[in-house]
Amino acid sequence: MLRLLPAIIALGAFAAILAGWAAGGGAVEAAWAPSWGLELSFELDGLGALYGLLATGIGFPVFAYAARYLPLHLDHQGRSHREEWRFFGLLLLFMVSMVGLVTARDLILLFVFWDLTAVSSYFLIGYDRQEAEARSSALMALLVTGVTAVLLLAAILLLWAEYGTFSLPELAARARPGALVTGAGVLVAIAGLAKSAQVPFHFWLPRAMAAPTPVSAYLHSAAMVAAGVFLLARFYPLLALSGLVLDLLLAAGLASIAIGGVLALTCDRLKQVLAYSTISQYGYVATMYGLGGGKSVAAAAFYVLSHALAKSALFLTAGAVTEATGEDRLSRLGGLARSMPALAVGSGLAAAGLAALPLTIGFFKDELFFAASFDDSWPAAVAAVAAAGLTFAYIGRFWLRIFAGRRRSDAVRLPPLLTAPVAVLGLAVLLGGAFAPPFGDLAAAAARASAGAVPPIEPAYHLDARAENLMALAAYATGILLLAAPWLWRRPAAWVASTGARLGPERAYTVGLAGLNRFSDAIHEIEVRDLRSRIAAVLVPGGALAVAGLAATPTAGAYRAGTLSTDDLALVLTLAVVALAAIGTAAPRHHLTLLLSVAGVGFGLAVVYALLGGPDVALVAVLVETVAALVFLGVFALVPRDVLRRMEAIPTPRRRRWRDPAIGIFAGAVVFFVVWGALSRPSPAAAIADEHVRLAPQAHAKDVVTAILADFRGLDTLGEITVIAVALVGVTTLLARGRLR
Amino acid sequence: MILVISLVVAILFGAGAYLLLKPDLFRVIVGVVLVSHAANLALMGSGLSRGQPPIYPLPFSDGISDPLVQALTLTAIVIGFAVTTLLLGLVVRVYRSHFAPDLDEVARAEARREAELERDEVSI
Amino acid sequence: MRPTLSQAVARLILLPGLAISIATLVKGYGDAGDGFAAGVIAALTLLVQYVAFGYREAERRIPGLRRLPVAAVAGLARALAVALVPAARGDAILTHWPPPGDSPVRLGTLELVSAVLFDVGVFLVVLGVVTGAVGAIARAAERAGGRA
Repeated sequence: MLRLLPAIIALGAFAAILAGWAAGGGAVEAAWAPSWGLELSFELDGLGALYGLLATGIGFPVFAYAARYLPLHLDHQGRSHREEWRFFGLLLLFMVSMVGLVTARDLILLFVFWDLTAVSSYFLIGYDRQEAEARSSALMALLVTGVTAVLLLAAILLLWAEYGTFSLPELAARARPGALVTGAGVLVAIAGLAKSAQVPFHFWLPRAMAAPTPVSAYLHSAAMVAAGVFLLARFYPLLALSGLVLDLLLAAGLASIAIGGVLALTCDRLKQVLAYSTISQYGYVATMYGLGGGKSVAAAAFYVLSHALAKSALFLTAGAVTEATGEDRLSRLGGLARSMPALAVGSGLAAAGLAALPLTIGFFKDELFFAASFDDSWPAAVAAVAAAGLTFAYIGRFWLRIFAGRRRSDAVRLPPLLTAPVAVLGLAVLLGGAFAPPFGDLAAAAARASAGAVPPIEPAYHLDARAENLMALAAYATGILLLAAPWLWRRPAAWVASTGARLGPERAYTVGLAGLNRFSDAIHEIEVRDLRSRIAAVLVPGGALAVAGLAATPTAGAYRAGTLSTDDLALVLTLAVVALAAIGTAAPRHHLTLLLSVAGVGFGLAVVYALLGGPDVALVAVLVETVAALVFLGVFALVPRDVLRRMEAIPTPRRRRWRDPAIGIFAGAVVFFVVWGALSRPSPAAAIADEHVRLAPQAHAKDVVTAILADFRGLDTLGEITVIAVALVGVTTLLARGRLR
Repeated sequence: MILVISLVVAILFGAGAYLLLKPDLFRVIVGVVLVSHAANLALMGSGLSRGQPPIYPLPFSDGISDPLVQALTLTAIVIGFAVTTLLLGLVVRVYRSHFAPDLDEVARAEARREAELERDEVSI
Repeated sequence: MRPTLSQAVARLILLPGLAISIATLVKGYGDAGDGFAAGVIAALTLLVQYVAFGYREAERRIPGLRRLPVAAVAGLARALAVALVPAARGDAILTHWPPPGDSPVRLGTLELVSAVLFDVGVFLVVLGVVTGAVGAIARAAERAGGRA
């Protein structure tokens, strides 16, 4: 029962969003970092409502399905049931970040949720963490969507730098066409296309099918990939300012329809077919945003809605079929309609929806798509018919191979919780076909949020020879032809698949990742081998820079010796003691002598500070020096005598005998010139110190240094005490009993 | 005075850099301590004015010393101490896992361990 | 067992040491010294106990010594609170009370201002960190069979 809790939460969230939407939407705002112009601002507009309802509404059946599926899945893999909570927690986190993403109005907030979806999807795809394939797939999804997310951030910052706001509505009002908006638009488009698994970033999605089925059904139909086109919809007012960006979307969309469709036709594994189908279907959506205009945007919103319903049902079907038969390939399945009629009908309705048969919500998605492309141009219309025909063919092949024909495998009875969600989603597809207007209104509202004035969507059946109907008939005919005559496409499709595998972007990804790995190994070899070469890797370039700086600085008048009076005698003498003690640290063999010399340096410096007029500093220096000496002593006591002695007796190798002192002297010389140069030309901003002195009484302080520490520069002090508290945590952890491994 | 302070800063830094190159980790830590001493002295030396402590009531005749660098140095000293303590903790940890707070030994042990790991990988 | 000289000294300086540290702390705004110095003085006084008696005996004699690292957390929380409370009221963080111009509440010669509260946080952090680190070393030393 407790397992159904996530499903109930999703249902509650769905009801809440629906109620909020019915009440006319609304906005929540809270200051986040007002001085940076950041706000926690959420708004439930049409677009947010559409995607929020999808994320929660499809979340409900999928989570219910997962409640039954996951224990079986864990049993198959011999894993503990305690791991369920990680799964449901991540699913809920994903849902929350999705809802946050679609309602965020502040762009930084949007970006945060965008990345949260990527991170939670990483853990969900890699949920079967004992399997290398799941891990590498999760990493691939994270890298592709995470790296492109950085582009989104770059676009947001570009827009902010130009227009000075993180608020989308304000941005949409202020932005004007130009190179900057085009550049930002391209970045946003790339981020959105990568998340929606569009060509050429599509390769992560089929890999991500390594995830447990509910994850695929949720993330890869209604949520994660939908987030990509959501981004396009959210930014549409800006994207539409540039023809280049729209053309980019159009090209990527058409390529995705074609490549995804062809590969879906050739795949054998159930979930792979659906993954390529998703690529192709979101290709439609990207294409429609690329076409531009109110009608296309409305069609796109409606398309996302109807596709998500159908596709999640089909993913759940694939999982249920594999669960019942133990097979996950089309070639080993068949004739299952008799043994699992409910599943067959539910998924049949979903498949019909995807194939755009009449009486399903899918019919209207294609009708709107046809209308938008017909309005655009005749090549677009031809491409639309071909795309719809391809969809008809691959989804028909998917369903027929599983449920019709000769029986090829045994099937066990499925628990009702694995079939009911499919049936519910199938019925929703049918319901959308019968009572389309509410769905149309939602999609139109979403479209208004992105494109302003949009013609209302009025889905209805017209029994006449209008262009949309003719195009639909042509698409069915194409689809049936493709289904009936597989020899027509088998060879070219196989060629596309093999070429893609050989030369496609996935190969670029693999090669790039391997190259990065080799590069990091090489750096590791060079730098991390030995602490001393590591130090050298920092100090040598730093020193070289300092020397270059010194060489480039004009020396005339750069160095002043300063003045010396008899009053300074004590100071100079103490400094001489400090210098002697410092030189003394280089010589001694015994650790205790070393400690004495360094303590001499410390106490000498404390006296110097006192003579320089800083009693506070001197006091702290004396005390800290004492404690530090005690700590050193304590640590010496931790290391056995003979080890210390052995270390003290290590002879210096011959080549180091001259090299190390030479390096030390050289470093000292460079520092000498740098510091002397710096001290010779004090910064003219003397006013700060005077200001501090003047203001101290107003801060009720008599000691100006304390006033600076606790008041004027209190934030520094806060940072400092945080650092030392962290150091304490480090020391106690390091010295704790046991070994760190 | 400027020249004297710079000279002492340089000596502190040079001695610290020399010790940083030693294999004995205790000497490395002392090197870090000396380098931070050098930084502290440079900070104090960069004060724009020198005179009486900056505490009210201010002296009428002499100037007062720059309070800002004092506050910065004070912060730096305390942080330097925390870092030293942390480094000492690390050395103890290294001693416990490798039985010598000595870099050459640690490097040898790591090379051995890496070779072992690679052998294991091959056998899998 | 007769107390050694160091133990006698340690016992003698315990209370005066703590008193001096408190004085340094509360007078920090008026004279040399502040939260850092006060924290290290207090810690040093306690460290002398560690050295003289060994950590076991010292922790037995001074209840709460072992839990002193908690003071570091408390101090950090306190400093953060002093920093953030003004933010909740709409001022910049670390805005101190009383504001410039107002005269602070006086308690004898002491002036009560919120900056001193902040300094108390600093004091607690320093005290907790120093005693905590040394305590950890002492315990590790005893496990290693050495002495501290």
